[in-house]
Amino acid sequence: MPILPLSESASPRAKAAILLFTLCCLLSTIRILRQAPSPARVSPDNISEQSDQRFAAVKTRLPATGVIGYIGESGNSSVPDYYLTQYALAPLVVDRSTKHAIVIGNFPYSPPSDLPPNLRLLQDFGNGVLLFAGGDAR
Amino acid sequence: MNIVLALGLCLISGCLAISSAWTHEAADRSERLMKLFLSVGFGLSIVSISFFVERLLGIVHIRATDLCLTTLLLGIYFWARSRRKSAHSIVSRLPDLRLPPWLQNFLMASFAISLLAAIYATVLRALVHPHGYGWDAFSIWNLHARFLFLGGMHWREGFSTLIPWSHPDYPLLAPAAIAHFWSYIGQGDPIVPSIISLVFTFATLGLLVSALATLRGVASAALAGIALASTPFFIEQGASQYADIPLSFFFLATVALLHLYQQRSAEIADGRPLGLLVLAGVAASFAAWTKNEGMLFLVAFVVCSILSALRWRRPPASGQLPLTSMRELAVLLLAIAPFLLLIAWFKHSIAPPGDLFANPETMIQKILSPPRYWAILRWYAKQFLRFGTWVVPATALLIVLRFLIPSSGTRRRETARWSSVMTLALTLCGYFAIYVITPNDLFWHLRFSLNRLFLQVWPSALFLFFLFLGRRASLESQTEPNSPRNEANC
Repeated sequence: MPILPLSESASPRAKAAILLFTLCCLLSTIRILRQAPSPARVSPDNISEQSDQRFAAVKTRLPATGVIGYIGESGNSSVPDYYLTQYALAPLVVDRSTKHAIVIGNFPYSPPSDLPPNLRLLQDFGNGVLLFAGGDAR
Repeated sequence: MNIVLALGLCLISGCLAISSAWTHEAADRSERLMKLFLSVGFGLSIVSISFFVERLLGIVHIRATDLCLTTLLLGIYFWARSRRKSAHSIVSRLPDLRLPPWLQNFLMASFAISLLAAIYATVLRALVHPHGYGWDAFSIWNLHARFLFLGGMHWREGFSTLIPWSHPDYPLLAPAAIAHFWSYIGQGDPIVPSIISLVFTFATLGLLVSALATLRGVASAALAGIALASTPFFIEQGASQYADIPLSFFFLATVALLHLYQQRSAEIADGRPLGLLVLAGVAASFAAWTKNEGMLFLVAFVVCSILSALRWRRPPASGQLPLTSMRELAVLLLAIAPFLLLIAWFKHSIAPPGDLFANPETMIQKILSPPRYWAILRWYAKQFLRFGTWVVPATALLIVLRFLIPSSGTRRRETARWSSVMTLALTLCGYFAIYVITPNDLFWHLRFSLNRLFLQVWPSALFLFFLFLGRRASLESQTEPNSPRNEANC
């Protein structure tokens, strides 16, 4: 059985402080509940899974490992698009450069334009996913 | 079936590691719960390191290796148990806040409400964001896990300098743990990182509550639990699949074990429970295996341990107890050494150099730039006041609480407190220094990371705050068996 030292009862000020603190915590708990997604409308954010599915077909044409190049759209979505492409094509390393023998194109929102002259289209997999041969490999 | 085996081996490994070093029988439920939550975190770290070593050595029979490891841990456990002294320790808690029954009941009810709300919100967030919330999950942690799991003999290519944005220099606790479970189920199911994230979130909360209940009492534990469970930012990050909450778990584990070691050292007549000190060192090592900030914490912890040992080389003042003697310091450093070697090897042979020290000239210019210091200080102050996105700022509430419930009494047995506070302070100073020399835009870096750095130390700060809140001089003189406070035990 634990031996507990006897302590003084909490003063009225201490009790009030603890009560106030706990009530303020519960206010934040209410905020947590209000910010939580509604259980009636749980719709998974499957952005990664959708990205995996977009690149599933082209992945069968790519080597299992190694480094390939990447070209994509400009704009606000360019960085997350590139990151998601790398995530989908791992364990391949996707270098954001067209100076590779194989280059993956990712144009989910608009058709590609102003492509570098070294790129030769090998196959269009639909949904903005393109496979290129790069002329000046590293 | 495979996942059951993986989960079982993970938890058993953690339990065996904890029980081997925690050599005295658990006196009550709070202590058993503390062991359980520690076992969860330690188990995940063990399987993470085990998987990484298996990858390094090209071992393909993961299950057989894990079974061998578990058997080894079992052997160590039985050996430690055979050396265990038969007498149970006499546990003496620090005096808890003594509250009237109505307030105690209100506290318990509030804790239950905040805990249920935390579980509800975190699980819903995990369901809505199965791949994590924010970019870091799929661009760093889960990406590294995919390279480890899918890369085969070419897994090292995932740490290429061609993808510097994926932070290939980051340690691998989370990715290797995720890849470990994926290797059992044979696929990269996103539910694995999601569950690991949730496990660490609630293990941190559980460890905070059980550690305080063990060291002090139910009232302090409930208050700290309410504070953490009702921190909106903690809940938001709980399902994010980032590594900040696992890191906060190991920070807390280190601090809590250090205090438990000190407490037990004062109570046990037949020698210090060195196993607890070893566990504290191992927890700090696991922090270093989790994120680069953990390495900073480990260094700070070692420095403070050395200072503590040197500080007490001369005979201690009346009422003071040294935390670590030189012998115990040596044991601590020996415990940390294997993990430090592993991390050093990873940094040297696998991870490319980080970008922090890439340009010494620019770094020196930044160090000599006073406006940067001022800008960082302002952000620190802002974050200190706003941390957690509470309705009423948490730090202000805690300051008011401290003012209205002051502590008093002698400073006996506060060397663990000194060591813990100094470790956390040094860690925050280290973060400050990193911001001074960051190669990234300073305001961008502060905006997207400072709140998470504070989150890393938040559970430990709550632990220390509520461990010492309202402590009185009665600590020294009033120790009664069969105290009516026994009814307040977990």
